Amino acid sequence: MAMEIEYDRSLYGVEHKAGPFEISDYTIDRANQSTGELGPAFTSDEGAKAAGYKGRIAPPTLCCILVRQVALPDVKVQFGKTSMHAGQRVEPKAPVYAGDRLTASSHLKDVYAKTGRSGTMVFVVWETTFSNQDGQIVAEVQESFARRE
Amino acid sequence: MPYYDEIELGDEIGPVEKVATDDEVSSFCEVWGTSSPNRFTDAETAAKSGMKGGPIVPGIMTMAMMAQLLTDWGGPGSIKDLDLVFRQPVPHNRALTLAATITDIREEDGENLAECDILMTGTEGERYIGGKAIVTLQSR
Repeated sequence: MAMEIEYDRSLYGVEHKAGPFEISDYTIDRANQSTGELGPAFTSDEGAKAAGYKGRIAPPTLCCILVRQVALPDVKVQFGKTSMHAGQRVEPKAPVYAGDRLTASSHLKDVYAKTGRSGTMVFVVWETTFSNQDGQIVAEVQESFARRE
Repeated sequence: MPYYDEIELGDEIGPVEKVATDDEVSSFCEVWGTSSPNRFTDAETAAKSGMKGGPIVPGIMTMAMMAQLLTDWGGPGSIKDLDLVFRQPVPHNRALTLAATITDIREEDGENLAECDILMTGTEGERYIGGKAIVTLQSR
């Protein structure tokens, strides 16, 4: 029988917005420098154009860095004492160019329990959609946080 | 960059070795906008959070490293899906080995896809991060 988890179910269906995030050359430079990214399409217009883009693009995990700037409410899970970042997923949908203005919209996707060798954990999953200034979706990001007994 | 018709099931991407230094983690946390002190850059805060081996590398920073493995191989726009599970805290200043293995090759909705298992391991066999990735490749 599935474990009954107590949490704030009223959060389902509520969108939490953030942005706009200005994606400048400086933003991309700093992200690149902190992760050792040297790919030509991410570091220069010339490199990006040689790869078929109209200009310099951001690395595919930039939206994963930005996602933490969405203020998310407490899900009030009544389980465990410690929470950890359990997983992350990104599905890039379109290039993010230097000069783009992105907005983010996050919602609670799922709360579920899983029992394994180390005991039971409860996972809270948030899903965030990033769109550019033209309303085009550029990335979907999922973050999963686990609470342990 | 490989073409779709050049790859086979079981082909490996990498391995490549990387190290996340103290300075790189500090720089990443500044870009990320993490408040200080935190368990990524401060030993005392890390200990209070139960991290016995000192400050840890942020999961999102390790994700960027994993993404680099794929884009260095398949091209800058090749990642269609990268789905990672953070299994163990990743320490600073240690050799990290990143590798992926192709587990499925298929054409879907006009795209040439390679699905991979992707892994970050340590020198003592630690399996820090595991997951799946789908990469799009061009035909010759």
